[in-house]
Amino acid sequence: MVLLALSALILGVLWGAFGPDGTPIDLIQIHSDWILYLLMFLVGISVGLHRGIVQRIKEHHVKIFIIPFGVVTGSILGGLLAALLLRIPLNQGIAVASGMGWYSLNGVVLTEMFGATMGSIGFLSNLMREMLSFFCIPIIARRLNYYTCIAPAGATSEDTTLSMIVRYTDEETVVLSVFNGVLCSAIVPVILGLC
Amino acid sequence: MDILIVMMIGVVIGAKIFPKKFKRQNEIGQMVCTILLIFAMGLMLGNRDDLMSQLSSIGLVSLVLALGGILGSVAIVYLLTEWLMKPKKRRRE
Repeated sequence: MVLLALSALILGVLWGAFGPDGTPIDLIQIHSDWILYLLMFLVGISVGLHRGIVQRIKEHHVKIFIIPFGVVTGSILGGLLAALLLRIPLNQGIAVASGMGWYSLNGVVLTEMFGATMGSIGFLSNLMREMLSFFCIPIIARRLNYYTCIAPAGATSEDTTLSMIVRYTDEETVVLSVFNGVLCSAIVPVILGLC
Repeated sequence: MDILIVMMIGVVIGAKIFPKKFKRQNEIGQMVCTILLIFAMGLMLGNRDDLMSQLSSIGLVSLVLALGGILGSVAIVYLLTEWLMKPKKRRRE
């Protein structure tokens, strides 16, 4: 699956850079929202087929906030350490890392807050986070635990990277992943406002 | 938010009417969607003309910040879930 994903990514980049415009291939990009909806619908069916999952989520109770809490504090701490290492202002490092993979928003907001260069770094860094997440989710599922697969995905764990979490973990983790993504996406603008 | 609504509709259909024998077909459908989404992401990247020049100038700073966020999140979530949530570990595929 990782090989298949990597090939799809490389083929996509090559076609985007060198392929002709106006072919039916463009439809995939234009309608990627609908593909995501279809994926979510099919994932929903998987969750529905899995009896007892609602029960297991209920058993977690307030513990469902553990993962989003860890993702947010981990991103902030990681950004802080990276800023120290890079010798850039701490609030800027935190602002980039607390984008948690949401590159479109982070790029725009950081351009406004700190100028075009920081904006580009915010965009690129969060895009890298999303890409790297794709390829470290299978490793985390094998070496650490299923819940931790949600951590690198951050705010994208409800959409793009969810597909990898669906593939490599179980239905319960998928539900927690969607919950984490929604919550993190809501928190990102708040943290950026505080930087 | 609309993504949640779509998923909830799927959950209800899966729980009430979806025949269990099509479970495998459903999983294949998910895989096809995933591959198409990743391909679409590649298209988006390839379409950006400034991608390569940006990579050379701010690539390293961006990468270190991305790794900082990933490693920080992974470390804290791993410690917290092992401590508080009794996670499962299982190899699939």
